[in-house]
Amino acid sequence: MDWSKENGLLIIPLVLGCFAVCWLMPSTRQRPRILGGLAALAAILMMQAMLLPPAGDYVRSVLFFVFAAAAVISAGLMITDRNPVYAALWFALVTLAVCGLFLLNAAPFLSASTIIVYAGAIIVTFLFVIMLAQQSGTATSYDQQPIQPLMASVGGFILLGALLFTLQEWGHIDGTSTSEHAEPGQFIALPKEIEPNPLSQAPHDNPHEIGSLRVLGRSLFGDYLFSVEIAGTVLLIATIGAIAIAPRRSQGTL
Amino acid sequence: MTATVLESQLIVGATLFILGVIGFLTRRNLILIMLSAELMLHGVSINLTAFSRYHGNPQGQVFTIFVLTIAACEAGLALSLILSLYQRRKSLDVFLWGKLGEDDLPVFSGSQAPPVTVTADPNVDLPHLTPAGRMPKTQPGPQTKT
Repeated sequence: MDWSKENGLLIIPLVLGCFAVCWLMPSTRQRPRILGGLAALAAILMMQAMLLPPAGDYVRSVLFFVFAAAAVISAGLMITDRNPVYAALWFALVTLAVCGLFLLNAAPFLSASTIIVYAGAIIVTFLFVIMLAQQSGTATSYDQQPIQPLMASVGGFILLGALLFTLQEWGHIDGTSTSEHAEPGQFIALPKEIEPNPLSQAPHDNPHEIGSLRVLGRSLFGDYLFSVEIAGTVLLIATIGAIAIAPRRSQGTL
Repeated sequence: MTATVLESQLIVGATLFILGVIGFLTRRNLILIMLSAELMLHGVSINLTAFSRYHGNPQGQVFTIFVLTIAACEAGLALSLILSLYQRRKSLDVFLWGKLGEDDLPVFSGSQAPPVTVTADPNVDLPHLTPAGRMPKTQPGPQTKT
């Protein structure tokens, strides 16, 4: 079985991860959580073994692995924690790890702005959780009874397996191919030489400063000026909608 | 199998997205459902910035800024909706909102709809629109029609 030998490396961590998420879901029965944790750890280690980078640039690889593992582990703990306060804290950790990945992707401005935006959002969410969900003092019953954890985990991991299989089969970028467009059946095109768009305002002289404020600002307020205006309008409408939806104190007490 | 940097980033983004989907489907807390949606947006943002770096142009990062904007709008609207829903049922359980029909309407099954008899219960606090503007003045007297 050539096929199963080739793709067994992909299937085993997926099954382990599915089992881990399903096992760690909050439940009324007491289950040893260490079992799910070990399964999740094994799945993550196997995925990382698959992702061994080409030699060289070790600092970058180590940083990438640290941030990626932090993001995935915190996300798993966020969706399985039975206390919504801790879930909000895990989400803050996910955001920090994702900002680290942004930094690795040469996007320092995005990293900073994501931290600023989500810090406010998370603090507000945190206040909401404490204000609404914690009034009884203990974890409520609906936080301990998830909806169909087995079906959701299996379905989600089947979807993840399909995504990873597609990446493995058709996402390979080998340096031998010289065409700028993707081959049929390959959905990632090779990066081509940047040809300056005549309508574009962004300077293309130095491709190494992609994430710098200058290039980003020129592109945002030059190429995408109309979209920026529409985004501002959407923000305004959302603000008006939030004020209209939010209950008045005169109509009832919180 | 050795993967390139881009592929590793895509795998991390896909994993975050799927974990967000699972959280969205399974949790019953309204606030956690919103946080899971934000988790999905994080996964998509990682993909966008990875492709932006791979292709060497800032369009992916610009699009991530738009994703950030929409996420902020969504968070604000979702929190006000959650507050409004909490005020009605005093709970964050999403199961309480599984049925959106009104309680005073008769339940029927099948194709034959029984005649609807609505009995207004004065104790039920139904939502109502607040009148806007002034009441139009009606002119007494004979109306002229052309």
